[in-house]
Amino acid sequence: MNLSRRDFTKSALTALPALTGLAALHSSASAQARANPNRSYINGVQFGLQPFCYHDLAMNTQNRPELVRRLVQNGMGMVELHATWCEPRFDGPGVSAQEARQKLRNWRVSAPADYYRKIKREFDDSGITIFTYYVNISDADTDAEIDATFEAAKILGAQGCVGSYGLEIAHRLVPFPARHGLFVGLHNHDNLSDPDAFNTEQSFEKGLAFSPDFKATLDTRHFTAANGDCVGFLERHHQRVSSVHLGDRRKNNGRSTPFGEGDAPIIEVLRLIRDNRWPIVALLEFEHGTLRTEVEEVHLMFDYCKRALA
Amino acid sequence: MIKALLLIAGALTMTAGWAQSVSRETYDFNYIGQPLPDPVLQHSKETFVLFGCAYCHGLDLVSRGEATDLMHSTLVGRDENGNLIGPLLRAGIPQTAKLSPMPQFSDLSDQQIGALVRWIHYARAQGRYKELIDSKSPGPGNAAAGKSYFDEKCASCHSVSGDLANVGGKYDPSTLRQRILRPMPLDAASWEVSRLHDTKTAAARQRHQGLLENYSAADVQNLGAYLQTAR
Repeated sequence: MNLSRRDFTKSALTALPALTGLAALHSSASAQARANPNRSYINGVQFGLQPFCYHDLAMNTQNRPELVRRLVQNGMGMVELHATWCEPRFDGPGVSAQEARQKLRNWRVSAPADYYRKIKREFDDSGITIFTYYVNISDADTDAEIDATFEAAKILGAQGCVGSYGLEIAHRLVPFPARHGLFVGLHNHDNLSDPDAFNTEQSFEKGLAFSPDFKATLDTRHFTAANGDCVGFLERHHQRVSSVHLGDRRKNNGRSTPFGEGDAPIIEVLRLIRDNRWPIVALLEFEHGTLRTEVEEVHLMFDYCKRALA
Repeated sequence: MIKALLLIAGALTMTAGWAQSVSRETYDFNYIGQPLPDPVLQHSKETFVLFGCAYCHGLDLVSRGEATDLMHSTLVGRDENGNLIGPLLRAGIPQTAKLSPMPQFSDLSDQQIGALVRWIHYARAQGRYKELIDSKSPGPGNAAAGKSYFDEKCASCHSVSGDLANVGGKYDPSTLRQRILRPMPLDAASWEVSRLHDTKTAAARQRHQGLLENYSAADVQNLGAYLQTAR
């Protein structure tokens, strides 16, 4: 039977009372990951990749096979998948931005579940778990579209939807994750001039208080650039942290750097996760420049982390 | 003199092994492209990549996401030798409505800032040339407006009765347009030992690059119309 995602949403809503709490879901999934570690589970830490790292690879559906190939090449068994790797693009010559947006909206609410099942299989077949689905939700998204997006994430096997939005949008997302048995990952940047932004520990505390279904996706690069204390944050809030975007930057809105050349406490963060057995996924990410191929750079970053945990 | 020697040393290092110690096997030719014939520009390009500028602003200044479009930025257009870009790079732009503020690069050396600035101007000039050559003709051009532009921007070095005498008879409109956009000084290498004291060519190159970075399609059309009258 081919259920459309709208049908799937309806059936999921009907079954809502039977859904277990998010915390239980997340911890059981993490326990399962520990019991059946995938290829990037290293000395007590589950690693994955934020594939924005492959800067030379446009994040679109056509390049998805190459993404999978590179993830395997980099020894990654987990990924945070941007929606753009899955969703078709509707922009092009003669199509206004508004038209393209409406076409995407229409597509999202009518895409069949099988479409996403096939994508999940592509990753499953290569031994890669889609940990989270990265979508930047904004005011332009309708409720139906947000539901459809969460349902897509669920079909892909993701445990949560992550995005870069502020407190206002986060507040709007409160009812959505429980309907689909997922969490919402709040991702920080380092814009300290925006009172709506996730940028400091206080802003995370505000956002996390909106819903028990909200988790922090702590970006160590941006948090460090905003002069935040990554280690202290994890010690205080680890129960509400689903993952870290692990990368290096310098303080005071400084630049991104290769691992070990910035101020982010990468080694300390990894050892905290390992030694406390926290079910926090470490998603490697970089924006520092390199003359090496992205695959080679990810290899070096991963190697740095492995040595930190050796 | 020390600056010149450093530049030579830098250029030699680049051609041997580029700015970062990377083997040919792992060098990202697909993203960065094949080495440019001019080692100073190649070094500048690699510096632009190495400090992460290219990921947001685009290696050829076609920006991604919310990054400023350096190809059309008025600040870049007004910059001379980094007098505007340099301080901005060192301070970053912490106050912004964007998701991610522009980082500060206060730890970079003057040479590194210089290399970033050099690449930004070079890539912008290349991109603007392509845009202007590819742009549809906005009309036949207004010779009077072209003369005004010439008097303001070109007359300190050129004259239609002197070095540009009969230029309108020498070139067809299409070739003349190309020569306006890319005159001889822009084809010279960015830096050579033999030109260490040739400040005239260096100044001409910089001036023409600045013009190329800021021409509008109408400016080029009008200038062409005016120079066509020089016969």
